[in-house]
Amino acid sequence: MQLRPNRVKEKIYAGEVAVSVVGFTHPDDIDVFGPIAQANGIDAVWLEGEHAGVDHANLGNLTRACDLWGLTPVVRINENSQGLIYRTLDCGAQAIAVPHVNTAEEAQNVVLGGKFPPIGRRGNYASRQGHGVPNYMELADDHSLLIVFIEDIIAYQNLDEILEVENIDIFFVAPGDFAASMGHKGIWDQVANIPEVAETMEDTFRRIQAAGRIAGATCGKAGLERYLDLGAKFFLTTTQEWINDGAENFMNIVKNH
Amino acid sequence: MQLRPNRAKDKLAAGEVAIVVGGMSDPDAIDAFGPIANANDIAGMWLEGEHAGVDASTLGNLTRACDLWGISPVVRINENSQGLIYRTLDCGAQGIVVPHVNTAAEARNVVDGGKFPPIGKRGAYTSRQGHGVSNYMNIADDYSLLVILIEDIVAYQNLDEILEVDQIDVFFVAPSDFAASMGHTGDINHPEVVETMNDAFRRIEAAGRNSGATCGQAEIPRYLDLGAKFLLTSIGPWLSNGAASFMDDVNNH
Repeated sequence: MQLRPNRVKEKIYAGEVAVSVVGFTHPDDIDVFGPIAQANGIDAVWLEGEHAGVDHANLGNLTRACDLWGLTPVVRINENSQGLIYRTLDCGAQAIAVPHVNTAEEAQNVVLGGKFPPIGRRGNYASRQGHGVPNYMELADDHSLLIVFIEDIIAYQNLDEILEVENIDIFFVAPGDFAASMGHKGIWDQVANIPEVAETMEDTFRRIQAAGRIAGATCGKAGLERYLDLGAKFFLTTTQEWINDGAENFMNIVKNH
Repeated sequence: MQLRPNRAKDKLAAGEVAIVVGGMSDPDAIDAFGPIANANDIAGMWLEGEHAGVDASTLGNLTRACDLWGISPVVRINENSQGLIYRTLDCGAQGIVVPHVNTAAEARNVVDGGKFPPIGKRGAYTSRQGHGVSNYMNIADDYSLLVILIEDIVAYQNLDEILEVDQIDVFFVAPSDFAASMGHTGDINHPEVVETMNDAFRRIEAAGRNSGATCGQAEIPRYLDLGAKFLLTSIGPWLSNGAASFMDDVNNH
């Protein structure tokens, strides 16, 4: 038994763009989405545990549905805690996203929780992903993907030192909190266009790329070109826009018939 | 406390088209869909218990998420059983869909399970929808929506007698089983299947009853022209179209 490939990790290190989709809260919904994801070259399902209900009680079933379709389960957790990071990996996540990472030390803490010794301090245990994989502990670090969120102005100020931390795969620049930390509260895809916020975010993307690291961004179709041009290689998008468009189109035909 | 309106039933009573959306298995997904449904005047959520995992243990949370947004929870069950029908109503469904109803007696069995005496034989209990509603038992029958699936050739042959059964709100003509029962498994566009279904829609309308259909965007005109007042659609194509469009932009950049 081989360890399941981590599709996002393979893509981004091959220089390709990887896309993850958020909006699924039930394993059966992921299972329905599986063939759609495959047909369209989507790489990952984003499971939301910073703000929504994903936790250890449901991670086994949610990540198993991803495994079935070769989709990378990416789990955003709600605290930069080593114990939380490795328990989330143990439950089946192939990638961990940690919000509000503002210093090199905080980024290093993500690595300590996400990698086994000698790199980090991940607790010794075969993850659900490791069932039947005899050399799991040796391979796991190469398969796990670590994402840190650059989403506070203080993280921007500390960006150079954060970018020096090894074993972080993706530096994800998120507009909503970024803008809020700069005094602009609002809807995430609107505040991203406030000039001061836009310029700071764009500089962040440029410096990530200049440091030879990989940037991540969240957007709908409208923001795609901007972030691709800024060198982002990992994307988070949501089903909400697709469902909204589908519902509008369907109801327009009903009403105009 | 008033009994919650049944939006799908109200639409039908007003002669309007009620749209019901299928494809969500989790209360949080329904909750996120709520504002989209409201903005687009979508009337109901289709919760799938004939083929998928909706059951008595999940119905409370699923239907509560619908309640929050004023969307009718419509539950398809997997057996024409009176006990199953009224337990499903008791757990919070506002609409019940019963598959493979082929005779007037079978249609009456749906009514027996779905309505309290003297109309039917629904067991006496206050549904979750009735919490705080002092006269629930007196008004429940006016709020519950009963849908039967006309989806076998034998149901078509018995259509006149089935259409005489009172208290059935929607006669839903479903293509896949219809085609299979006519020996055309998987071929819902076979001319014989299409013509038989079209005739079923016409006869339902001629009898002064409401018909229902399942369709994607492309088939809306066909079924509205056939008089359908209750349309089931799935979020599957919406996700598929959205995913394809997004990935096209990624790949063509």
